Amino acid sequence: MTLIPEKDPAGTPPAGRPIIELRGVHKYYGDYHALRGISCDIGAGEFFSLLGPSGCGKTTLLRTIAGFEDVSEGEVLIDGRNVDGVPANKRPTNMVFQSYAIFPHLTVEENVGFGLRRDPRPRAEKAAAVAAALEMVGLSGFGKRAAHALSGGQRQRVALARALILKPKVLLLDEPLSALDKKLREQMQSELRKLQRQVGITFILVTHDQEEALIMSDRIAVMFEGVIAQLASPQDLYRRPLTRQVADFIGVMNFLPATVADEGGGQIAVDVAGLGRARIAAEQCPGGVRAGAGSVGFRPETLTILFEGEADRGRVALGTVDEVTYYGDMTYYGVRLDGVGEPLTISMRNLIGRRVLERGERTRVAWDPGALVLFC
Amino acid sequence: MRGGGSGFRAYAVLYLIFLYAPILLLPLFAFNDSTIIAFPLTGFTTRWFEELTTTPALHQAVRNSLIIAVSTAILATCLGIFAARAATRYAFPGKAGIIGFIMLPLVLPEIIVAVSLLVVLLQIGVKLTSFTVIMGHVLICTPYAIAVLNSAFLSLDRSLEEAAVDLGETRLSTFRLITLPLIMPGIISSLLISFTISLDEFIIAFFLSGTEPTLPVYIWSQLRFPTKLPAIMALGTILVALSILLLMIAEYFRRQGIRRAGGKDSGGFL
Ligand SMILES: Nc1ncnc2c1ncn2[C@@H]1O[C@H](COP(=O)(O)OP(=O)(O)OP(=O)(O)O)[C@@H](O)[C@H]1O
Ligand SMILES: [Mg+2]
Repeated sequence: MTLIPEKDPAGTPPAGRPIIELRGVHKYYGDYHALRGISCDIGAGEFFSLLGPSGCGKTTLLRTIAGFEDVSEGEVLIDGRNVDGVPANKRPTNMVFQSYAIFPHLTVEENVGFGLRRDPRPRAEKAAAVAAALEMVGLSGFGKRAAHALSGGQRQRVALARALILKPKVLLLDEPLSALDKKLREQMQSELRKLQRQVGITFILVTHDQEEALIMSDRIAVMFEGVIAQLASPQDLYRRPLTRQVADFIGVMNFLPATVADEGGGQIAVDVAGLGRARIAAEQCPGGVRAGAGSVGFRPETLTILFEGEADRGRVALGTVDEVTYYGDMTYYGVRLDGVGEPLTISMRNLIGRRVLERGERTRVAWDPGALVLFC
Repeated sequence: MRGGGSGFRAYAVLYLIFLYAPILLLPLFAFNDSTIIAFPLTGFTTRWFEELTTTPALHQAVRNSLIIAVSTAILATCLGIFAARAATRYAFPGKAGIIGFIMLPLVLPEIIVAVSLLVVLLQIGVKLTSFTVIMGHVLICTPYAIAVLNSAFLSLDRSLEEAAVDLGETRLSTFRLITLPLIMPGIISSLLISFTISLDEFIIAFFLSGTEPTLPVYIWSQLRFPTKLPAIMALGTILVALSILLLMIAEYFRRQGIRRAGGKDSGGFL
């Protein structure tokens, strides 16, 4: 055992033995290559998210872990054991389906207790376990209801209770919140997070909502077309996306063409269109540095519009307001810097006394080289 | 507009009369005290029904028909469950072709099926009994069973079965606990449809029943004797009453199935 873990460019898994180890997992559907070499470790007790656009293979990966699809190549280890050929009913994982899959001909109680059918405990103990599970998800007193007489949010809770009552090592959730409206979704996000901390079970959440992944996860694996493009903590993912594709998928990112001029001395000198020469720290180049043309990216909140009377701070560029979108607490500006074709998105808090600029106004924009991320 | 409406109403009434008047004549003559099937009616009697109870050949025919119809319903529905499940759940080479061939008897003229079955059975030397009729009836009923069960399987969310397996059940117990209860309305429909088709099927039964006539074959044979006609009317009356009862039972189960699955009633046949 090494004391200093090898620096893993894909993100550092938490200490301790991983509960799930994926080793070069490939999956073919006929000719279609759905998973193209997925390798990662998922730690015990982690809240892990699989994030990616539709069709990138998130559900497929979740189903290979659950045991509904067998892998074409590679290995899946659960708790150190290769589960090749182990059917879903023999795996220490449980799943919350996207459609919730509540059994319509059973009551809420029967649904939640379904997994205890083979449990040798006496009836009364099982009933207590069902009641406790219902209590946990805030559905006490709903036990006798017919399952089809529930609202979307209640179904989701029943599905959760039904999966958690078996105390699985890993809970798999396939877009569990996508069917709920915005308010309920936000409420369930925080409830789910709380629940995960409370029960201490590893959650693997599939989602295509980047905000949801950022809010809830310990670590996020961003997938594109069957491969993991980046595996990192939410903060790392947001601040230091590995590729432009990841950066584009997570939140909003402005890009400007840039050329690497000099890469000596721990800092990289870059000539950025419209901004001029900037020195970027090596850690702001997560994808590595190559000489030649590339681009730099920066988030809308790292740019600041300087209003009349405000002194210059940091480095300043001049531009014209091209678009104004007012959100109440924030205003998003599209500002075209002098000498740059594409407008940049800048977000500004609407502080008291701060006016909202009009389209066509000239403005100064302060920026910080420390916020730039280099993509080669 | 109103003229058009009443026109349609008259059309609908005429249509219903055309459809049901002959059937209404059945009980009328079944209770008529005359061997001649003609108006005016001469008096009330239950003699024809009594005659039915004392005709052993008829009882044998009814027994044959019931055995054949029940066996056919069960066999066709079992085959239908396998085929519909395979068709909706699995992909395998030649699937479309295989399903096509299974469904073919639906459009094949029955007389062709009957004659070719007869030729084949005689060639390989199988004796013609109720069993051969069952074989023929299963052949023509299975497509109907598949059609009914296919839609039952299609409306069953696949993740329900996966959820049961995920919660520790085997494939077999999942089928028993989840699949079967949820497709039960389809199974009952399939049983009733197959039973009804088999019960009144004539051509195949006529060709393949040998010395064990079914009810339709027996009725046809009795039509040669005019004095037997009122008894046939009485028999017809009983059959109509039973059919109505059967349909009501089927409808009851269909509605219950919908209620249990939490769906909305979107009509159905009744
Ligand atoms: N049973 C299957 N047979 C053939 N192709 C499949 C099958 N299941 C999935 N695929 C294909 O594999 C790819 C990945 O599918 P998957 O369901 O994993 O996507 P996803 O990331 O979950 O997308 P979404 O966000 O839309 O749910 C898709 O292109 C899909 O068409
Ligand atoms: Mg999916």
